[in-house]
Amino acid sequence: MANRITIDPITRIEGHLRIDVEVENNAVSNAWASCTMWRGIEKILRGRDPRDTWLFTQRFCGVCTTVHAMASVRSVEDALKLEVPPNAQYIRNLILIAHALHDHIVHFYQLSALDWVDVLQIPKADPAKTAALGESLSAWTGNSRMTMKAAQDKVKAVAASGQLGIFANGYWGHPAMRLSPEVNLLAFSHYLQALEYQRKALQVVGMLGSKTPHIQNLTVGGVSNAIDLDGTSALGMDKLEMIKLLLDDVARFVEQVYFVDVCAVAAMYPEWFKIGSGVKNYMAVPDLPLDSKGTAYHLPGGFIRHGDIGNVRGFQTAADAVFRHAVTEDVTHAYYQGGKPLQPWSGETEPEFTGWDGAQKYSWVKAPRFDNEPMQVGPLAQVLVGYAQGHELTRKYVTGAIEKVRSIGGPQVTPDMLHSTLGRHAARAIRACMLAELSQKHWQLLVDNIARGDYSVHNAPVLPNSETEGVGTHEAPRGTLSHWVVIKDQKIKNYQAVVPSTWNASPRDNAGALGPYEASLMHTPLARPEEPLEVLRTVHSFDPCMACACHAFDPSGKQIAQVKVL
Amino acid sequence: MKRILVAGIGSVLLADDGIGPYVVRLLQANYVFDEGVEVEDLGTPALDLIDHIAGLDALIVVDAVANGAAPGAITLYRKDELTRCTPAVRLDPHSPALADALWAAEFYGGCPQEVLLVGVSGESYEGGCALSKAVQGSVVRAVQAVLRELDRLEVGFIRRFEESEAKIWWEQLAVAG
Repeated sequence: MANRITIDPITRIEGHLRIDVEVENNAVSNAWASCTMWRGIEKILRGRDPRDTWLFTQRFCGVCTTVHAMASVRSVEDALKLEVPPNAQYIRNLILIAHALHDHIVHFYQLSALDWVDVLQIPKADPAKTAALGESLSAWTGNSRMTMKAAQDKVKAVAASGQLGIFANGYWGHPAMRLSPEVNLLAFSHYLQALEYQRKALQVVGMLGSKTPHIQNLTVGGVSNAIDLDGTSALGMDKLEMIKLLLDDVARFVEQVYFVDVCAVAAMYPEWFKIGSGVKNYMAVPDLPLDSKGTAYHLPGGFIRHGDIGNVRGFQTAADAVFRHAVTEDVTHAYYQGGKPLQPWSGETEPEFTGWDGAQKYSWVKAPRFDNEPMQVGPLAQVLVGYAQGHELTRKYVTGAIEKVRSIGGPQVTPDMLHSTLGRHAARAIRACMLAELSQKHWQLLVDNIARGDYSVHNAPVLPNSETEGVGTHEAPRGTLSHWVVIKDQKIKNYQAVVPSTWNASPRDNAGALGPYEASLMHTPLARPEEPLEVLRTVHSFDPCMACACHAFDPSGKQIAQVKVL
Repeated sequence: MKRILVAGIGSVLLADDGIGPYVVRLLQANYVFDEGVEVEDLGTPALDLIDHIAGLDALIVVDAVANGAAPGAITLYRKDELTRCTPAVRLDPHSPALADALWAAEFYGGCPQEVLLVGVSGESYEGGCALSKAVQGSVVRAVQAVLRELDRLEVGFIRRFEESEAKIWWEQLAVAG
């Protein structure tokens, strides 16, 4: 007889995801991912001016503000066939890169590292040995004995107070936690340092976007940053130099700390290269456009089916014809009215709540499908799609990661092993390194273009009276984001956002195919079913953020993962 | 000089959840504050809230709460109530983020000594850009609660001589019928 375990909600911050698993013989035998609430935000956009839409979509989610603003202006530009000046592309790209670096750093350290790091082991560590270990792994200057001791003292103080505060919810002492006290301390000191570097990345977003959390500099057709090389209030050389310094600092942290820590975790938990694979269909869209028409990109896109990376298919553009026609959403198991799967431009969002029933409807998330198949999106998809197409930058850091894991005493990783929980973490760190390197390139592209005397940042949109449709995509930190707009009489007629967490947290579809979270949990071994740390590891490896997947906020104010064993 | 942040929190797309950003815009349009006081709409922040609050002397948050009180009622919560592990009151949408951020700032250092949440009980959190009547009726009281707290913290403010119109863009931008 299977036990059922419900984890609700699973994200530690804006959590609205619910996971139900059945456990037999200490392994997951069935799984359901669901979203617990819906508020119908997309309907708000109908009838509005397409030029204002990004202001509203930016408010879909407090974590992903920038990405929804960007996908929205791109969708309207696609509909209007409006080109974007190169300066505007580079400025947008720098914002997107900085936001993604912030997001990846926060995800690994603040949201998932403590799935692997046991805080309560830290008081037993020897700070001198920890510092020596740190120095053997990386050239990072923040690995001194005193830094380690300071981090350890913080944990000791919390442990002595008896009030664990932010650490009250961890599965400390769980048998699946296996790092030595020194490795725990090293990772934890980086957890503290990460806060400063994610903030630097966010500062770049603020300097270019004029404000965080809600950037102000976008406009359909470009950006509104005034360029004046000698000016102090506009975007001038002073500001650009400051942005460069911040990006340099963040890049150093990503390469010398984040990337190394992920490789170390991978080396010490090799069995997690065999757990958590699930859906092996992957999709990513091209991003970081290099010209005003959007014909060349620094990040490649495409799709892979059934793990067959030899048969990768590339997307030529960010709104590729194949992508435009292959995406549908199915509501068989979602709380909406409707029958057959619909293409997003004709998508409907009519709620029909019937209560959780794993055999019928059980989630507010629709099931997006690409040519009728579930797709896994996110850094792993992006890295595999790039690797399979021989993308040089992707190959460089994949090879780097394989060598680093091996040098720390880990297994010989093959690309095939990336279909796993650890593969998702490794891919995110690889992507962060790629983005850190690309941030330098896009900064240079912007500066060089301005130096050539091009100050143009905006092409004025002209709204037609006839009906027109567009799709705007962004390869966001959590994967492929697409906004689908239909414009008629110069107003929004229909609007649908198909967000990364919808792809990954998708429920089953009309053919019964499991979504990526669900499939990835199958057969996961659980050492202590009442403390399902292993389930958290895999779900967190996707970097869930449900606020925009269901456009909702849970009003119950639940603060920790509630675990119910039935 | 005291460093103080008045933060409006909430989603402007979810009806009464927009009360925080709404009150912030009224404060910005109608008052001038002593140096060191920032008044900001933070939307629906998560961990990045730590960056906004670390190093402050005082934090004043305006947000919607679901505490069972009548719509439009204002309840004030202090720091110790917000950081209780199992809060006696049920705090709405972003209270996990607020509590998490306060705990984290306490741990990392730089948590403000003084924290006040001006909680407005909402009626509707359904998709929509307008406040309910009851919550609309609480706006002036919420503004006053913020001003009273600033006064208690011995911070000066003056009402602008010429009233400017608050830019509640999510209500003002037109929707065609």
